[in-house]
Amino acid sequence: MSGAAVIVALRVAATPQAAFTAFTRDIGQWWRSHPLFQLSRHGDGALRFDPAGPGGRLVTRFDDGAEWEIGAVRHWLPGERLTFAWRLPSFRDDQTTEVDVRFEAVGAETRVTVEHRGWDAIPQSHVARHGFELMLFQRRLGEYWRGLLKGMRARL
Amino acid sequence: MLGALADPKRRRAIALLGERPRSAGELAGALGLAPPAMSRHLRALKEGGLVEDGHPTFDARVRIYRLKDGATAELKQWLAETEALWSHQLAAFKAHVEGGP
Repeated sequence: MSGAAVIVALRVAATPQAAFTAFTRDIGQWWRSHPLFQLSRHGDGALRFDPAGPGGRLVTRFDDGAEWEIGAVRHWLPGERLTFAWRLPSFRDDQTTEVDVRFEAVGAETRVTVEHRGWDAIPQSHVARHGFELMLFQRRLGEYWRGLLKGMRARL
Repeated sequence: MLGALADPKRRRAIALLGERPRSAGELAGALGLAPPAMSRHLRALKEGGLVEDGHPTFDARVRIYRLKDGATAELKQWLAETEALWSHQLAAFKAHVEGGP
């Protein structure tokens, strides 16, 4: 697994330990289905780490009761690091990517960094078949965020 | 977008191949890499579906590397979608942790 990776980070007002606990225990509560990029044709389902801890798996349960194992946990270091495999229903059996989440104290807050790597493993036809044409995708995403921010300002 | 390729030498190789096809020797020279290291990087890029090799019509002994058609567009698309997904999820996570809506 080499090559491309995506890195996204932000700070949350919590300790690394609390952030790790919320990330893992509450994933079914905070995960929000992305309007343009769903995990499967049946949506995202309800995610959970099962069992929670080393040796666990990230699993999602769809509305019709069917379950899908997104991937096995590879590192479970509370307050520090969480690594798990990431495989969607559209991938072939031997294809998987990896998500690495790090929790670092920054003053009284925690920087949460998600690194998603392994584009090499993605079936190319998958991207071409399910993906948006890039320009269109970026334009729609821009509109989506502008809408969200407008809604937020309206509430303030 | 290509900045997201994990290894800086590979990013540089992709940039060079984006200009025109090149031989492994030429790439190794430009990147300051020993031939075995260059082969390793080229193999990874090939397995990643980013690069392909072939022989120029004038000389079957020479192996030329070039960017695979569509590879960069697909890579950019995956990077954009995956980045959008995690930005969205981390924002939702932050709202949850901080007791937001």
